[in-house]
Amino acid sequence: MARMKFLCDAERCIHCSGCVTACKNEHEVPWGINRRRVVTLNDGKPGQRSLSVACMHCSDAPCMAVCPVDCFYQTNDGIVLHNKDLCIGCGYCFYACPFGAPQYPSTGNFGGRGKMDKCTFCSGGPEEDHSKAELEKYGRNRIAEGKLPLCAEMCATKALLAGDGDMVSTIYRERVMARGFGSGAAGWSHAYGKKG
Amino acid sequence: MLIKKRAPLTSHNQAANSRLSDALSTVAGSTVDRRTFLKRSGLAAGGAALAGGLAAGTVRKTEAAALVSDPKAEVKKAICTHCSVGCTVNAEVSNGVWIGQEPAFDSPLNLGSHCAKGAAVREHAHGDRRLKYPMKLEGGKYKRISWEQAITEVGDRLLKIRETSGPDSVYWLGSAKFSNEQSYLMRKFAALWGTNNVDHQARICHSTTVAGVAQTWGYGAMTNSYNDIHNSKAMFFIGSNAAEAHPVAMLHILKAKEQNKAPLIVCDPRFTRTAAHADEYVRLRPGTDVPLIWGILYHIFENGWEDKEYIRKRVWGMDQVRAEVAKWTPEETERVTGVPGAQVKRVAELLAKNRPGTVVWCMGGTQHTVGNNNVRAYCILQLALGNTGVAGGGTNIFRGHDNVQGATDMGLDVTTLPAYYGLAAPAWKHWARVWGLDYEWIKARFKTPELMEAPGIPVSRWYDGVNEAKENVAQPDTIKAMIYWGHAPNSQTRQPELKKAMEKLDTLVVIDPYPTVSAVLHDRTDGVYLLPAATQFEVDGSRTASNRSIQWSERVIKPMFECKADHEIMYLFARKFGYDAELFKNIKVNGSEPLVEDILREINKGAWTIAYTGQSPERLKAHMANQQTFDKTTLRAVGGPCDGDYYGLPWPCWGNADAKHPGTPNLYDTSKPVKEGGLNFRALFPEYKGESLLAVDSWPEGSELPAGHPGVTFGMLKKLGFEADFTPDELAVIQKIGGEKVDDVAWTVDMSGGIQRVAVKHGIAPFGNGKARAVVWNFPDPVPIHREPLYTPRRDLVEKYPTYADKKMMRLPFLYKTVQDKDVSKEFPIILTSGRLVEYEGGGDETRSNPWLAELQPDMFVEVNVFDANNAGLRHGEYCWVHGPEGGKVKVKAKITERVGRGVAFMPFHFGGWFQGKDLRSKYPEGASPIVLGESTNTAQTYGYDAVTAMQETKVTLCRIEKFTA
Amino acid sequence: MRWTTFLALLMMVAGFWAGYGLEPALAASSDGDVPTAAQSGQVTLPDTWRAIRQGEPGFIAGQPQDRGVLIQSEGETWRAARNGKLTWYAGLALVGVSLAIGAFYLIRGKIMIEGGPSGRMILRFNRIERIGHWLTAGSFLVLGVTGLNIMFGRWLLEPIIGKTLFSWLTWAGKWLHNLSGFVFIAGLVVIFALWAKDNLWDRYDWGWIMHGGGLLKMGDHPPAAKFNFGQKTQFWMVIVVGSLVASTGVSLLFPFTFAQLHGMQVMQLIHAGLAVVMVLFILGHIYIGTVGMEGASTAVTTGYVDLEWAREHHSVWVEEVEGKQTKPAE
Ligand SMILES: Nc1nc2c(c(=O)[nH]1)N[C@H]1C(S)=C(S)[C@@H](COP(=O)(O)OP(=O)(O)OC[C@H]3O[C@@H](n4cnc5c(=O)[nH]c(N)nc54)[C@H](O)[C@@H]3O)O[C@H]1N2
Ligand SMILES: Nc1nc2c(c(=O)[nH]1)N[C@H]1C(S)=C(S)[C@@H](COP(=O)(O)OP(=O)(O)OC[C@H]3O[C@@H](n4cnc5c(=O)[nH]c(N)nc54)[C@H](O)[C@@H]3O)O[C@H]1N2
Ligand code: HEM
Ligand code: HEM
Ligand code: SF4
Ligand code: SF4
Ligand code: SF4
Ligand code: SF4
Ligand code: SF4
Ligand SMILES: [Mo]
Repeated sequence: MARMKFLCDAERCIHCSGCVTACKNEHEVPWGINRRRVVTLNDGKPGQRSLSVACMHCSDAPCMAVCPVDCFYQTNDGIVLHNKDLCIGCGYCFYACPFGAPQYPSTGNFGGRGKMDKCTFCSGGPEEDHSKAELEKYGRNRIAEGKLPLCAEMCATKALLAGDGDMVSTIYRERVMARGFGSGAAGWSHAYGKKG
Repeated sequence: MLIKKRAPLTSHNQAANSRLSDALSTVAGSTVDRRTFLKRSGLAAGGAALAGGLAAGTVRKTEAAALVSDPKAEVKKAICTHCSVGCTVNAEVSNGVWIGQEPAFDSPLNLGSHCAKGAAVREHAHGDRRLKYPMKLEGGKYKRISWEQAITEVGDRLLKIRETSGPDSVYWLGSAKFSNEQSYLMRKFAALWGTNNVDHQARICHSTTVAGVAQTWGYGAMTNSYNDIHNSKAMFFIGSNAAEAHPVAMLHILKAKEQNKAPLIVCDPRFTRTAAHADEYVRLRPGTDVPLIWGILYHIFENGWEDKEYIRKRVWGMDQVRAEVAKWTPEETERVTGVPGAQVKRVAELLAKNRPGTVVWCMGGTQHTVGNNNVRAYCILQLALGNTGVAGGGTNIFRGHDNVQGATDMGLDVTTLPAYYGLAAPAWKHWARVWGLDYEWIKARFKTPELMEAPGIPVSRWYDGVNEAKENVAQPDTIKAMIYWGHAPNSQTRQPELKKAMEKLDTLVVIDPYPTVSAVLHDRTDGVYLLPAATQFEVDGSRTASNRSIQWSERVIKPMFECKADHEIMYLFARKFGYDAELFKNIKVNGSEPLVEDILREINKGAWTIAYTGQSPERLKAHMANQQTFDKTTLRAVGGPCDGDYYGLPWPCWGNADAKHPGTPNLYDTSKPVKEGGLNFRALFPEYKGESLLAVDSWPEGSELPAGHPGVTFGMLKKLGFEADFTPDELAVIQKIGGEKVDDVAWTVDMSGGIQRVAVKHGIAPFGNGKARAVVWNFPDPVPIHREPLYTPRRDLVEKYPTYADKKMMRLPFLYKTVQDKDVSKEFPIILTSGRLVEYEGGGDETRSNPWLAELQPDMFVEVNVFDANNAGLRHGEYCWVHGPEGGKVKVKAKITERVGRGVAFMPFHFGGWFQGKDLRSKYPEGASPIVLGESTNTAQTYGYDAVTAMQETKVTLCRIEKFTA
Repeated sequence: MRWTTFLALLMMVAGFWAGYGLEPALAASSDGDVPTAAQSGQVTLPDTWRAIRQGEPGFIAGQPQDRGVLIQSEGETWRAARNGKLTWYAGLALVGVSLAIGAFYLIRGKIMIEGGPSGRMILRFNRIERIGHWLTAGSFLVLGVTGLNIMFGRWLLEPIIGKTLFSWLTWAGKWLHNLSGFVFIAGLVVIFALWAKDNLWDRYDWGWIMHGGGLLKMGDHPPAAKFNFGQKTQFWMVIVVGSLVASTGVSLLFPFTFAQLHGMQVMQLIHAGLAVVMVLFILGHIYIGTVGMEGASTAVTTGYVDLEWAREHHSVWVEEVEGKQTKPAE
């Protein structure tokens, strides 16, 4: 059974935000809500690295555990989805989520933050696949079309990997292997004459 | 449970998985599964035809491009309009509405990838903040008018100026956003209007590259391609921040880094996002590129690492360079550039020991008073290493706009006619022949024959053409009307001067999908017209990516609102001016819309110098339709209808389309026959002062003329005994062109294409086989030398490395010494440089109007080093004033960072709509102001122009940064 | 943290590990502020990794700084506390206390007015006082019910009534909860103003404590003024804990206004924890006010209590009131 996962390869991510706007575009995510975001650590300093994050579709999903109305569900391929009709906008999933994935139409207002929105792994929600309701509430359902998340498919450098966990890690492992014998280090070996 | 009901999960998981592997295989190292690629493209094709549009003249409502699902949506292949990488955009269209964007995995250039801008282009389908109908400024307010009124009124005003001040008083500023066809048409349009005052962004972008590189070895263009970087063993970036400016190029760069272990060296005053991925980051002082390169070459020569054989065979003048380089000892290099001597040596060794390596440069090198010196120094580095003309090597000059290469090629420029023919009489005669027009008639369109052959006023200084006293401007009168046709104004330096000029003009016309800063910068109350242009997603046409690949971009949607395609607007004006019959002699016009394919065919008929001649509309369309058949590294089609062709038929594509030349993927690569894309350096000057500049012992593989030789003429081919290869039709054309002197008919003017065809057939490069010139004797500094910037904090170096003397060129006085002599470094101690952010493009009107992008960069800012910020008492995120030494000042947020070194500040240039602290939002036409407004750095940016091309200096000036006070 | 979540975390940051493990040592050759080697892997990458885990925010354009946090491990801690100890202990305590009260009732029975109702009523709480009580009490009941629903409903109610109805109820309950929070605050203010001074320590309290409030033994009626020590405790509990619950509640109501994410997580735990503590107290209070004691409830309904009841429980107060009544008007 496939298990869908994301992986962002920090050695490749260039903080170009292609993944962010791809998501906005694909699902017409409104202003202020970001299902995906890119964060740069050590900005402007040596060691600067960027990572793109969205919902990771955790296996034992904290959001799912704490939701007072139990509106989350996990598909057979491990994608964590939720039902916006049931969501009461309490914010608990946001408290629990390690990745800051859940988003709300409003934050400061009294009583209602609106229905929580988060990355769906481009697989819609509980409504009928490709129905109008699904589109409007959750955006497109690419998984049902046999496609993968658009953010990863459009990633400028293929830093962002999405898909079956085994494949993702195989690809990543290949890259690490390739880099292992040089990559960044090649220059240094040259400079100090240590090239093997 | 709420698990949703689905088709058996395994099936779509498999689909999803193979999709993942497809997407990644080419970049992750495994082989390409061509079958799946084919299969998928099969899926993508087909679908319903575009539903009929509304009658002409009616306003097309913003088709709420709300999310619609339509499995039968038609997929249109267009090209991203935001940079020269040329990413394919697969647009899904349903009932005329652009409903979705899918990754274009088949494109060999982007393999489905996009950066923030490319992934957000569907916003065009909303067009919320577009200019929706023609408008006219009346009593300080923009009022809606009809197209008819607009053309009549603007036309009358321009005709009146033509009458009273001459045709040169109207400035036609075109755009690198135009397709090749539109660029070409506009150049021709200006020629028939009777002026050379026609320019576009390349002037302020890569003009120094084009001039410097062409003079060095033949063509002013990127030599290899983004994909060819896969073959590089070292990558040397100087003044290029590809991670932000050419993000998808990083796909190829990181591949080389990973798989070839190619060291990535980034030389930039800022520790950029590109530098973050570098193995070696070299922080140089802005404006010291020549010293850095010479400092590197110093070690190369010192250790004998140069490629001596290569230099002997293919390079002229390296000894003179050697003499100059000898002055740049490690100590002197460090003193001037600030780069530690040990690091310079390390870099030299890296380059020497990892060949072939590629050199990439961009605006950090070009936008300087010494831009032409910089670019030639970079070329010389590659010549010394023997890296030019090989796969994995070359100078991969990352160009700017999506079609700046094409617009430059099409001569949308003050110094030349299309295809770099120049402005001299033979050039005019050639194009007159192509256009089927009488040379004398064209001549009569100009005020004087001299003006016909004199370069116009460059866009970098158009406002001086307005503000200067009449007697200082070498044309009958100053500029009276400015047509901003696809160009933002906030991208030009010295905004206060530009504002003044806008106010002084008789007429200001903006032809653009957006109102742009041109609509609001000035305090005019009338005489301004805004005409809504269609974007490139609303027209068909070809555009040339940085690597010279020409891609046919399909119209995705019909022009929105009352927008019109640029070529249609050109037609309307030509008709108004009364030369539509001449302009469109060979071009079919449907209603008022000229047929794009016909324009391209006319280009094919005339652009022999760079061989834009084999790229017929049919061939280009076939390439787009069969993208999946092209290899992702070599760019060569393997099988399929385009078998053997290089993707997009990168020019030169010798001969006409029937000759089936595959295009030239890597320029000057002698390892291949010319007919398969091989080449040698161009013999621009066969000799100098009695010394031959022809190549020695070097020629393209399989050449039947194994020697250096000048450019091919009919006579030369005859002498070689190839006359029999010409067809009677070809001979007839050559005869007609040559008349008496048929033997003199050269490869550049033979409209039959026969000369090129026959030469290439015998393995001979039509443009001759010469040496690259390390010394460009016709430039102010034949050997590139260092000259301190006009505004420099290093007054101690001014005496040893002074700038040029003041001079006159391009119809205007140019100041150098006068500016540099004034020491302002005490009051303005910080170096100010400028550049790009990944989310926005150019002046930014388009991208700042796109909510998906605007959300990512809401504020204009200045990057200041922690040290300088603390000294000035600045706080992160708070407003501050940045004062320029010429009086301009901008109110921007302080971003305190170590990205810039001490004494250096950086501002992005994409913002506009504020002027010296004032928000101009209320001046925009209603509903058409960009979401994000901000100060333009160019308000504080100063005087300074390249001594050859008048490129504006945007990369080094001085400034003072102060806490904000109201 | 469950291992699966950890796996997800690990996947995301695997790049850092990989980079770390494989980068050969890079010599530091930085002169001045010229960072020469961009990939000084050894020095910075583990730090970066640590920074991520410690939730140090990175740079994120155009958004609040806290969106720059890649991993907030506190979320896991919060989840563990809230779904674990809090819910568990709260549930146990609620069940335990309810059982205890039931047991107490069975053993002790209803506390009757020993002398039997006198039939003569005496005004205990005037209108304003009664409004104050019911503002507090009424809103508290709503808050309690809706709050506990948020905490336990998913486990107790939802399986019975189904997701849709439950979600609807919870949604409505959330609104009620949010609105009545303010009523509760108003109530707190009113009762504090009215009753604070009567709830100060006085000389009868010690005796009352020594007698266990007279609850344990029949016929034991330690003297008390308007409020006995038990009620005072209850009063101050309501005031103090109520204020805490209220203030944490308000901070949850306006996210990111008073506290950032981690603050809110803490607020939530305090809010829920103290709320349950209050509920436990109030269960007792309600018991005493209703089934637990004869003659008490009318104090907050009509405002009058039987004189006999008053004498038994608030002898000092009765004297004061009667003394006042007999005093000639000034
Ligand atoms: N997102 C985005 N992408 C774009 C564009 C855009 O507007 N936005 N525009 C397109 C266009 S038109 C162009 S021309 C390209 C430009 O692309 P780039 O030239 O890569 O972009 P810039 O940021 O202008 O400049 C590059 C770097 O030059 C450095 N620099 C400054 N001064 C010096 C110097 O004296 N020497 C050296 N060596 N470096 C220096 C700057 O710090 C900067 O990092 O980008 C294209 N792509
Ligand atoms: N300080 C500073 N200044 C700089 C630079 C810098 O690095 N620093 N870089 C310079 C460089 S390299 C460049 S290239 C320039 C770029 O600066 P500009 O070229 O002035 O900026 P853009 O916003 O790209 O301008 C393109 C315009 O064309 C419009 N447009 C888009 N598509 C079409 C179309 O199909 N038809 C028509 N008619 N219009 C269209 C857009 O709306 C936009 O207004 O800026 C230069 N200025
Ligand atoms: C059905 C629910 C309730 C009933 C029947 C009830 C009944 C009473 C009665 C009879 C009194 C008066 C005791 C006296 O005369 O001394 C009283 C007092 C009081 N009640 Fe309630 N009450 C209820 C709920 C609450 C709640 C929910 C709160 C607070 C959160 C509360 C807070 C108080 C306070 C502060 C006093 C005054 C001092 C005290 O007696 O402790 N009551 N209540
Ligand atoms: C001023 C008063 C109060 C305010 C503003 C307030 C507000 C809140 C808020 C915002 C929540 C978060 C849940 C959601 O948004 O749906 C909450 C939860 C809760 N509140 Fe209150 N509240 C107040 C008083 C009380 C009181 C008096 C109680 C006690 C009876 C209480 C019990 C609870 C409980 C049990 C939860 C659920 C906690 C959980 O499930 O972990 N609240 N409250
Ligand atoms: S929302 Fe957060 S906790 Fe829930 S699955 Fe996504 S990443 Fe995990
Ligand atoms: S916000 Fe919605 S989804 Fe999140 S925990 Fe609350 S009810 Fe559940
Ligand atoms: S998987 Fe889809 S929904 Fe999730 S971030 Fe990516 S594009 Fe957005
Ligand atoms: S698109 Fe890819 S490279 Fe760009 S920010 Fe997203 S993950 Fe990073
Ligand atoms: S802006 Fe450039 S890199 Fe980005 S998607 Fe467009 S063409 Fe590609
Ligand atoms: Mo540019």
